[in-house]
Amino acid sequence: MPGDPLHTKLCDMLGIQYPVFAFTPSREVVAAVINAGAFAVLAGTWHEPDELATQIKWIRAQVGGKPFGVDLLFPASAPPAGGIEELMADIPEEHRRFVQGIKERHNIPDAKSAPEHYSLGWINQDRARRQLDVALEERVPVLAVGLGSPNFILEAAHERSIKVFGLVGKPRQAKRELEAGVDAIIAQGSDAAGHTGNIGTFSIVPEVVSIAGDVPVLAAGGVTTGRHLAAALCLGAAGVWTGTLWLASEESDKDPIIKKKLIQADADDTVHSRCVSGFSMRILKSQWTEEWESPEAPEPLSAPYQLLLGAEVHQSVNENRIEPFMFEAAGQGVGFVKESKPVAEIVAGLVDEARAVFDGLTSESPVRTGG
Amino acid sequence: MDAPIPAVAGFDPDAAGKRAECDGGAPVAGTGMAARQEFTGLLTGQYVDHGDPPWRWYLMTGLSRKPAGYPWDAVWCESGNLFFDDD
Repeated sequence: MPGDPLHTKLCDMLGIQYPVFAFTPSREVVAAVINAGAFAVLAGTWHEPDELATQIKWIRAQVGGKPFGVDLLFPASAPPAGGIEELMADIPEEHRRFVQGIKERHNIPDAKSAPEHYSLGWINQDRARRQLDVALEERVPVLAVGLGSPNFILEAAHERSIKVFGLVGKPRQAKRELEAGVDAIIAQGSDAAGHTGNIGTFSIVPEVVSIAGDVPVLAAGGVTTGRHLAAALCLGAAGVWTGTLWLASEESDKDPIIKKKLIQADADDTVHSRCVSGFSMRILKSQWTEEWESPEAPEPLSAPYQLLLGAEVHQSVNENRIEPFMFEAAGQGVGFVKESKPVAEIVAGLVDEARAVFDGLTSESPVRTGG
Repeated sequence: MDAPIPAVAGFDPDAAGKRAECDGGAPVAGTGMAARQEFTGLLTGQYVDHGDPPWRWYLMTGLSRKPAGYPWDAVWCESGNLFFDDD
């Protein structure tokens, strides 16, 4: 459509209709978003390398030759291979007792199987490297790299016709990656669920745009509505990177309890806490977060100890679907997620609302959209 | 689980003793998200390369800045996320 404000250079680069990127752990959401004319990136870090290859093949079969992406979180500070057993031995007795007390007070049974540290997010240098090799071997159309720098892999990726997108939280990270030759930059503000920096979306995006030249920039962090999409394009972004928006979609494989919590949540129902893994991040409030905010609670351990400390409880909570303790990471835009809808409807809603905003900007009576 | 990818250890004399900042971070357990951890310290010059093309990690010690509760005085930092005074 000539003059369409939603047709950006990202649309031309990837052959997509709408400059909307979904970051999701659900392969079903990936396929549905792509088939609705937008773009989707599978969160690949939580898969064993073999399983990641299976997921990529499944998506490829669903999208009929359309491009898709895989996101790998290159850890920027991580231990070498191995190490879980040694770390477990270092956990203080006070913390072990506190967690045991939580289990007893709330009748949380022992997990049926040993904690799956890898699926919970434990990573080391070796595991990250093997995941990356899968992405290269499978020649995924887009490799999005969170946290770590993709610079060392750019040549190998481009030789395989893989476009590499780098996710940054600071302008200096963007500058480094632009100089190395990434194909696009995702500028993520602190409104996001993950903690990638202290700079808000409205500040980081135009700052990165100003140094990116012709390289497309995606805005990330709190993007949940068509108004956010329109605003991001006005900031100079060529598209948006969204996560929370898709968690409660019909195609999402999240537990229905989590979907219900997301739909009921407002921005005030999220909390920045280190109690899950030792990293500060935004998550939905739960009994677990409340326990760690109580006066009796010790200071959460740093990463990776806090993960190792709570892994068995988290596994049991999920196995037994113990609702008060189930949690999910969520960006500040979670308050805009009010119902579980099909992905195609979410994409259409974003696009229609953004177009209405742009139409309003050019008419004498600005259109009021949303609630 | 597959065998680890061969890792080659080495020493970079140009890096040894240099003050650096590391925009570190890692995935966050159970969330599908990631989080930053920032460090400042001195590089020892020791490194490890994983795979081909090599993915290089430097050992940083003498940490003058580290996340709350971080128990060690050393961290392995991915080379692309190290920033020096003259950057």
